[in-house]
Amino acid sequence: MATAIETRDLTRRFGARIAVDRVSMTVPERAVYGFLGRNGAGKTTTLKMLLGLIRPSAGSAFVDGVDVARDRIGAARRVGALLEAHGFYVNLTGRENLDLTRTLLGVPATEVDRVLEVVEMRENAARRVSDYSLGMRQRLGLARAMLGAPPVLVLDEPTNGLDPDGIADMRRFLKALPDRTGATVLLSSHLLGEIEQTATHIGIVNEGRLVLEGELSRLKSELAPEIAVRTDDPARAAEVLRGWDLTVVHSGIGGDDGLTARLRSGDDADRKSAELNRALIQAGLSVFAIGPRARSLEGIYRDVSQPSQNRQPETVR
Amino acid sequence: MIAVLTVEARKLNRSLAALLAIAAPSLIAIFVFFNLLRGGKPQPWEMWTQSSTGIWAFFMLPMSVTALTALVAHMEHGPRAWDHLRALPVARWKLYAAKAVCVIAVVAAMSLLNLALTLGAIYGAAAVKPEIMPTGPLDGAAPVVLMGKVLLAAILLIAIQLWTALRFSSFVPALAVGIGGTFFSVVATAAKQGVFFPWQMPVNMLSTEAWRVNAALALGGGVGTVVLLLAIAHLSRREVL
Repeated sequence: MATAIETRDLTRRFGARIAVDRVSMTVPERAVYGFLGRNGAGKTTTLKMLLGLIRPSAGSAFVDGVDVARDRIGAARRVGALLEAHGFYVNLTGRENLDLTRTLLGVPATEVDRVLEVVEMRENAARRVSDYSLGMRQRLGLARAMLGAPPVLVLDEPTNGLDPDGIADMRRFLKALPDRTGATVLLSSHLLGEIEQTATHIGIVNEGRLVLEGELSRLKSELAPEIAVRTDDPARAAEVLRGWDLTVVHSGIGGDDGLTARLRSGDDADRKSAELNRALIQAGLSVFAIGPRARSLEGIYRDVSQPSQNRQPETVR
Repeated sequence: MIAVLTVEARKLNRSLAALLAIAAPSLIAIFVFFNLLRGGKPQPWEMWTQSSTGIWAFFMLPMSVTALTALVAHMEHGPRAWDHLRALPVARWKLYAAKAVCVIAVVAAMSLLNLALTLGAIYGAAAVKPEIMPTGPLDGAAPVVLMGKVLLAAILLIAIQLWTALRFSSFVPALAVGIGGTFFSVVATAAKQGVFFPWQMPVNMLSTEAWRVNAALALGGGVGTVVLLLAIAHLSRREVL
């Protein structure tokens, strides 16, 4: 599959601090690529290097095959961006703001109506931006990013500050974007649920390093299955489970006091659940709930993105 | 470049730039009007036009440049628009050069408006008090040429103010530089060394000593143009974090 964005050992230092550390990422064409990481992990710095806003200390970045460092303007022609700071002129209307960027891009005047139509903002285009809600500004920002129909869209936290309805609208919109426009979307966010429902591919950055990347459905299917267990005595249950070839972790997910038994890749989760259930009952424990649990993006994220000093080994037999 | 210039001019729509451009020359015209009414004898035209140009050159011009550069810079600093602008497929020097051209064009328009309003104030005052109507012929070209020299000599101070306003996202450094420069321009207007001080170069265009006029014009206009080009180059190359 052709790549829309590629970085090779992309590195950026600020003094002694390494903000982005040899990041090599690949975003396939027409993907919605969720770029995940906690605040300060290096997401925005990576995006800024992709947009040519800051120079890498080492490595290279390519947008639609164009080296950003060698041909910034050529690369910029192939990318539209929605950045965290929108940069709208609030004394002007939405349409006037779009028209300023359109003029700078040198694209036809009809583009303004086209992108306003895509984000369903035509009715409000004549209002000053100072009167816009945050959701309307986000949509206007998206419209501006789509001016000239660039093949790549870079969106930094597009759901920031939106209400639940706005988030749902944005999710539907982003999901459909590759089919509607043929664009590739690189989406930075810290909202795991949103990325899980929107992205086809993910990249997780932690402490400046890309620690995981791939097609989301494949990553989830390749992960070892998990079994959630709730009993009347979690400590004893953990003792019992340690006799099996699996990893036991105190989940604490969802506010319960349960255990999670992480199986080995290829294990049959249903059969194993039944076997573990029998073992726990034979040990005299009351089993409230037991069953396979689908691996979530949150689980994947937590596995790979813990700060290195906090990373603790799981309980392994 | 034309596209970038038109965008820059359109950004000023419904901003306070028009108010500033009208207010500063109007204040001088109001002062001239009442100052004329105080007199009992007619004076030559030249005296009034030079008086107006003098006030413009040593006080109102530096203050207007301070306010105008802060305004055009804050159009981008305020909404944090630099990332959007600098990510576009446009050579960055054009973005900064367009701002410089816009500022100089507005200052030029203000200079002409200053002359026009001054003439209006003189005729207005003469209508109220006919005996003070200036004497002799009105040489229309001389005040315009003088105002042009004042503008040229102001390029260095425009370059310094514009660079400071664009370089720092807070408006405080640009205001501090502008207020400080204008302060010394006002309190030391007659200082000989003023010819080397960017904020006093414009007012030196009214000097009767040719060397002062020439030196201030060369430094303000010549060195000013070089400094303006260096400022544009520096701003284009630096990273905005």
